[in-house]
Amino acid sequence: MKDLADHLFDILENSVKAGATEVKIILGIKDKKFFCKIEDNGSGIKDEDVTDPFVTSRKTRKVGLGLPLLKRAAESTGGFLKIYNSEKGGVILEFETDIAHIDAKPFGDIARTFVDAIYSWPKVSFDIFVQQKNNKKLSIFDSKKIKGIVNYSEMQQKEVRDFIYDSIDRELKKIGIDYQFGIF
Amino acid sequence: MKNLEELKKIRERVKKDLELRTGKHRIKIVVCLGTCGIAAGARETMNTLIDLIAKNDTSDTIVTTAGCAGFCEQEPMIQIYIEDKEPVVYGKVDPKAAEEIFEKHILKGEIVEKYLFSKGK
Repeated sequence: MKDLADHLFDILENSVKAGATEVKIILGIKDKKFFCKIEDNGSGIKDEDVTDPFVTSRKTRKVGLGLPLLKRAAESTGGFLKIYNSEKGGVILEFETDIAHIDAKPFGDIARTFVDAIYSWPKVSFDIFVQQKNNKKLSIFDSKKIKGIVNYSEMQQKEVRDFIYDSIDRELKKIGIDYQFGIF
Repeated sequence: MKNLEELKKIRERVKKDLELRTGKHRIKIVVCLGTCGIAAGARETMNTLIDLIAKNDTSDTIVTTAGCAGFCEQEPMIQIYIEDKEPVVYGKVDPKAAEEIFEKHILKGEIVEKYLFSKGK
């Protein structure tokens, strides 16, 4: 995984694979630390350490590397990764990385991650928020609202995809999530 | 979310465009997007293919995604399903390879041996 955008896509795929139909994402930057919280309504995790590479739900092979890799990336900057079942039955995943740390991975194209996710899993609703400086959450993408306007095949069209990309990217840049290491 | 009015306008344009070319999807390209695929750059491959479809106006072709196929060392992998033909799987498909495969396999129906991983079910 070369950047956080790849990691983010990977954990969104985990939610989808766990049968989630609704995924809520909150992103923010505070004191040069990037944090992300993802809440889904999937099947949840059993009583096992999913950040252990030898614990996986897949059957094609016996290792799962997605979460251990992200955990390592976060911890190597002094950050953390937590994953636990929510009261509603899905999973809540939180991680934080110090973007000013020498070992920090660049953000990469996070807006592209969301556009790719929306394209790849049209049946899943993604709700994306950014946490602003005054701690208020701002909705920057709402699948349900978008689906009220465009249908599935319209959503696949370049012009619509570009619109979604631009509207997400603009808001991410405002809070300092830029392609490289953010604006301080 | 702002600018929903703008999206409505875009939608009107796109809708008209889509009405002009309604047809069935004849070709399906599946990009493997498990952890292994993502780490190997499969999202770039996917976006290259989506752009090529738009550029060539091959609206009978769609790109969808799947998880890990179990051959992680071959990632990024793509599977191509063409109506009435055996499925074909390609391995190590970076954006450049995707362009070549698109040009030869999707547009002309020729298999690109260089990236071939398997044929048939």
